[in-house]
Amino acid sequence: MFFSKKKLREVERIVKANDREYNEKFQYADNRIHTSKYNILTFLPINLFEQFQRVANAYFLFLLILQLIPEISSLTWFTTIVPLVLVITMTAVKDATDDYFRYKSDKQVNNRQSEVLIDSKLQNEKWMNVKVGDIIKLENNQFVAADLLLLSSSEPYGLCYIETAELDGETNLKVRHALSVTSELGEDIRRLAKFDGPDTKLMQNSGKTKFKRTSIDRLMNTLVLWIFGFLICLGIILAIGNSIWENQVGDQFRSFLFWNEGEKNFVFSGFLTFWSYIIILNTVVPISLYVSVEVIRLGHSYFINWDQKMYYSGKATPAAARTTTLNEELGQIEYVFSDKTGTLTQNIMTFKKCSINGRIYGEVHDDLGQKTDIIKKKKPVDFSVNPQVDKTFQFFDPSLMESIKLGDPKVHEFLRLLALCHTVMSEENSAGQLIYQVQSPDEGALVTAARNLGFIFKSRTPETITIEELGTLVTYQLLAFLDFNNIRKRMSVIVRNPEGQIKLYSKGADTILFEKLHLSNEDLLALTSDHISEFAGEGLRTLAIAYRDLDDKYFKEWHKMLEDANAATDERDERIAGLYEEIERDLMLLGATAVEDKLQEGVIETVLSLSLANIKIWVLTGDKQETAINIGYACNMLTDDMNEVFIIAGNTAMEVREELRKAKENLFGQNRSSSNGHIVFEKKQQLELDSIVEETVTGDYALIINGHSLAHALESDVKNDLLELACMCKTVVCCRVTPLQKAQVVELVKKHRNAVTLAIGDGANDVSMIKSAHIGIGISGQEGLQAVLASDYSFAQFRYLQRLLLVHGRWSYFRMCKFLCYFFYKNFAFTFVHFWFGFFCGFSAQTVYDQWFITLFNIVYTSLPVLAMGIFDQDVSDQNSMDFPQLYKPGQLNLLFNKRRFFICMAHGIYTSLALFFIPYGAFYSDAGEDGQHLADYQSFAVTMATSLVIVVSVQIALDTSYWTVINHVFIWGSVATYFSILLTMHSNAMFGVFPNQFPFVGNARHSLTQKCIWLVILLTTVVSVMPVLAFRFLKVDLFPTLSDQIRQRQKAQRKARPLRSRRPQTRRSSSRRSGYAFAHQEGYGELITSGKNMRAKNPPPTSGLEKTLSNSTSWIENLCKKTTDAVSSFNQDKTVKL
Amino acid sequence: MDRPSQVWWSLLPDNTALKQQRLPAYRLQLSASKVLSGFFATGALCLGMGIILLLSAKSTKEIEINYTNICANCAKLRENAINFDKKCSCSIPFYLPETMEGNVYMYYKLYGFHQNLYHYILSRSNSQLMGRNIKDVERCDSFKTTHNGTPICPCGAIANSMFNDTIILLYNINSSIYIKVPMLSSGITWWSDKFIKFQNPTSNDLPSAFAGTAKPPNWPKPIYELDEVDSGNNGFINEDFIVWMRTAAFPTFKKLHRQLNRVQHFTEGLPAGNYSFDITYNFPVTRFQGEKSVVLSTLTWSGGSSLFLGLAYTVTGAVTWLASFSMMAIHLMLAKRKMFFPNYKVKL
Repeated sequence: MFFSKKKLREVERIVKANDREYNEKFQYADNRIHTSKYNILTFLPINLFEQFQRVANAYFLFLLILQLIPEISSLTWFTTIVPLVLVITMTAVKDATDDYFRYKSDKQVNNRQSEVLIDSKLQNEKWMNVKVGDIIKLENNQFVAADLLLLSSSEPYGLCYIETAELDGETNLKVRHALSVTSELGEDIRRLAKFDGPDTKLMQNSGKTKFKRTSIDRLMNTLVLWIFGFLICLGIILAIGNSIWENQVGDQFRSFLFWNEGEKNFVFSGFLTFWSYIIILNTVVPISLYVSVEVIRLGHSYFINWDQKMYYSGKATPAAARTTTLNEELGQIEYVFSDKTGTLTQNIMTFKKCSINGRIYGEVHDDLGQKTDIIKKKKPVDFSVNPQVDKTFQFFDPSLMESIKLGDPKVHEFLRLLALCHTVMSEENSAGQLIYQVQSPDEGALVTAARNLGFIFKSRTPETITIEELGTLVTYQLLAFLDFNNIRKRMSVIVRNPEGQIKLYSKGADTILFEKLHLSNEDLLALTSDHISEFAGEGLRTLAIAYRDLDDKYFKEWHKMLEDANAATDERDERIAGLYEEIERDLMLLGATAVEDKLQEGVIETVLSLSLANIKIWVLTGDKQETAINIGYACNMLTDDMNEVFIIAGNTAMEVREELRKAKENLFGQNRSSSNGHIVFEKKQQLELDSIVEETVTGDYALIINGHSLAHALESDVKNDLLELACMCKTVVCCRVTPLQKAQVVELVKKHRNAVTLAIGDGANDVSMIKSAHIGIGISGQEGLQAVLASDYSFAQFRYLQRLLLVHGRWSYFRMCKFLCYFFYKNFAFTFVHFWFGFFCGFSAQTVYDQWFITLFNIVYTSLPVLAMGIFDQDVSDQNSMDFPQLYKPGQLNLLFNKRRFFICMAHGIYTSLALFFIPYGAFYSDAGEDGQHLADYQSFAVTMATSLVIVVSVQIALDTSYWTVINHVFIWGSVATYFSILLTMHSNAMFGVFPNQFPFVGNARHSLTQKCIWLVILLTTVVSVMPVLAFRFLKVDLFPTLSDQIRQRQKAQRKARPLRSRRPQTRRSSSRRSGYAFAHQEGYGELITSGKNMRAKNPPPTSGLEKTLSNSTSWIENLCKKTTDAVSSFNQDKTVKL
Repeated sequence: MDRPSQVWWSLLPDNTALKQQRLPAYRLQLSASKVLSGFFATGALCLGMGIILLLSAKSTKEIEINYTNICANCAKLRENAINFDKKCSCSIPFYLPETMEGNVYMYYKLYGFHQNLYHYILSRSNSQLMGRNIKDVERCDSFKTTHNGTPICPCGAIANSMFNDTIILLYNINSSIYIKVPMLSSGITWWSDKFIKFQNPTSNDLPSAFAGTAKPPNWPKPIYELDEVDSGNNGFINEDFIVWMRTAAFPTFKKLHRQLNRVQHFTEGLPAGNYSFDITYNFPVTRFQGEKSVVLSTLTWSGGSSLFLGLAYTVTGAVTWLASFSMMAIHLMLAKRKMFFPNYKVKL
């Protein structure tokens, strides 16, 4: 954190500590966080400016201006301005509320208190008033106000432990140390503010959120452009028509009517007509489309927020839709990219089982003697006799306790090893309880297990380790600490027990440790190896445990050589490694431990269900390959049934390329050989009507690739190979990837697969991936907020993903598609009649309807029913959506709304407009009303058409609505009722009396709606418009039922029967696979321990020669830094990516 | 950061039907029985309605006489606007083979006259026509005022182009005696038009009410002299004027002109026999290549004599039935197949 690069434009910062006046000269940013956009004064102009930057709004403004030109105007201005004002007001209100909430959260953060040294005394200061150069005193468990430079701390050697959960989501503590010059200054942590406010790392990292749009959005924009093109074509046709008409008929007619006035060139007249028709026909894309889409999405977002089934009571966290514009895309996900730790797993390690001297402990047997999974009913072993017990630890096999009591030396040695060989630091809290500071949760699990089983690690100094063995305190002398690293895959300690024996205790990956065993261990090795396989098959992380008795002389010689090696200047590391190899041999095997990396609840079921829904899950993790694979097996993404698991682990570009090529050859080769069986299978499938789109490759494959290889594989020429291979695989696991690579993988799939991607994670290392995926999901309820802040949706448990996608996503997509289909249909039907009328009115841009009807049609008469459908409609129930994940597929294949669907809707709309126009035309053409008066006057025609239209589109929405709630009833009937009441009001004498020029239709409704003939026309229009659609739909369901149709039918048939349930997945598997070993920590902590730097000052300062040699040779802190750069640099990289 | 544990319930979403999307609802499903019965019923309804409409349309009588070319000399005369004050009339004899029973209506019908042009429809002043402000000519493009600035009354293109032929129907009782068939010029407008939309300005007598305005340029007489016979039928409330001002939707239209007054010989309607139209030919249609005719027609319960609705209903009914039969056939075939292959459809 403290080594982060400064901004480019700022080469250096000159800061005088605690000198505000001096620092003010540089005008550094203040510490106020300011994410809100507006204030009261700027709101109106800025918001309006922003709104009119949107193409749609600008377009309608342009139309409005066109309408104000009297030569062109074919509609009065209010037809556009009323909807436009409505839309803009609604958006403005929404923006204002959003901004208000941002302002409130800013205020809360800005008003947090911190202690700042002002005028030589500590004063409380609000965060926003902290200045660059201030000296801040931080106490334990306080939030950090800004980016700080550590000056000194109460810990020895100026160390301090920080948690970076809000930055990267990691909850383990990281060590930082003060500069040596300042480190002895004082007791408490004092820090100098370095970067403030907008300059802080957090703010810089948060960056500008990329504006995400859904594929439906993009499709909609394309369609709107097409419609504009189409509109222009219509305009041109009508304009040409007008020119011809003017030339042949209009000219004479005009001269007859207007004498010599209003004479126009027919070409010019056509030009004007073009614009007039653009105005009239613009209702094909009404303003209300965009607003309605927003409203529907908002509704869906609220449903997500309100869903009790996505509420996690453990953390009191409801699901939250943080973005309200992406909902329907949740129904189209093809790829899920998941982080591992904290998302799939809980990052809690528990000691589950062990194998000691060839016997397994920790298995639970039911009454019949069958192995079973741990059941809740089973009572855990009672550890209460032990005063130092950790209450959270549970172990279900009492036989281990018995063995301990019986004094089995191997069992004791095993537990002793667990208590001695580790890097854990102990601490006693005020209540006298032991607290362990663990650096890797695996180790914590092992030490805690030993503690509960009676071998309690009490304390350590650089050269001793004190443990309590079944009640007696024993102090071991720590002679050497053979640290862990990735190549060794093991760690050892050499201790001298009180009896004076020297022992080497070692734990490590079985593959490595088994090679170091003494030959006499052969039988035990075979047995233990079987046990380890069994543990691994259950998804547990294993470690092999071994020891060696050393004789004094041998050790002394070895230790001498080690000191020499440490003092050496060249090849120091190699020499040390060689010495470690030398002493870690002829080990005696004790057994193995099995630690469970606890999965989040319901992960297995969720993974299974999502893969049934044809969603591919890729795990992208910073963890080691072994750990990642382990989790892959644990949550059933990898299985033994898979035809092949490809592992790409090459270190050079050439190797990676070769490995990819081989894997591909393998994949396609196998496929070819099995193609015979495939054809038969295909034929069988063709018989079935709803056959699924065939995968090109049969069989299950998995790909595992690590970060180094990925870096090469993401290079442009191999990229496609990687992608091709990865997409054929059922499961892809990328391990040891940096946050940047996570994003790159997502981008790769996003770009080349044209698929909708979703990324889910909990830490700041997932932020880049969350931001670059189409949909980003943050796991909330954790300490870290970064992932959630960057995400579009958040919930507390991975398993809610199933409900979010299969229920909410599917419904959203389904509803949105239905909405769009209907909306386009409705507006084509509504608008296209003007086109037909053009041929009868001399292309003079006369509208068919009353101007008021045009104004109100989309926003009043027909908006609510379609909104209700868009918000509430359900084809199948949520339970069915969960039970039949296959229902999700139409979304992935884009079946419900695409260009073809759009053309069908358009054709449907045009057909309806034909019926709407030509049936009244035919009926009125030369007919008379029942009172003998002529019918075919313009106003009666307009009212008839408008009434037919409202009734036809209402019947259509009634057919489209498949889930009729009270709200749908109210809206549909209400809309029709509203239409008639508004119609009667606007045609009333009173309205005409007040505004004779605005409401010229006086008496029309009364007259027209009492004519039988007009009702006959309306009825016929409705029948003709609706019947073909009904027949078409019926036949479609009858002939080609979709899965959802079938489920609906079955649901109806079995309404009283119990709800259908798909078979729950089995969680037990057997596997013959080698496990990942349970080490998750970084190298270098051994040195830290033996140096004693991280120990309390009250401990005697280290004097042993061993320590000296270690600390003299190289600065341990440099080592630590060097070895932790991986994590740090990856984080910095993340920052530099512009996402 | 930690949320106080006692407020956990406030974050739990409410368990209401609306919020959990469990609103009780009717699930609309297009089951075969519903759709097919709906189709059969609709088909039957349409067929029945179609036949009834056809039969009643057949029972009406209609006669149309296009006099554009019959009165060719008048048409020629009217082609030149200079002759606007020259009178021209022509007589068109015709034979009515059957009695037209009941109410008989007389219409004039224009072909190719675009009363639906955008600027034409707009060119009127409703506030003038309702007698509120007879000098309001704001919206009457092209026909607002005369050259010297006097507001035209009634203003606008619609009023100016008013149909002004007089049509008199004569009945030949015997060989040489023609009597005038009594016709009513009232009751041909909508009530709302006559009493709301069109009102004369309040004044003692009409000429003074319209003082300070000029007649439309095409008109031979001012508005208050439209009806020479019935002085109550003058001004804006003149029924012929009101009928004309209700603009037609299509370029071919007929407008009600007169209604048979069923007295004397005509209590039953128009008896069969020889008739003649005596037409004062004023309206120049040939100038825009239009035509005009006069129509006599009786009515039925649904209105006029048009066959369109009846035919459309019959065809719709027939097609609906056809569709329902084919749909039923397809459905039954599928059901049969389903019986033999019960699993072919539902593969879950």
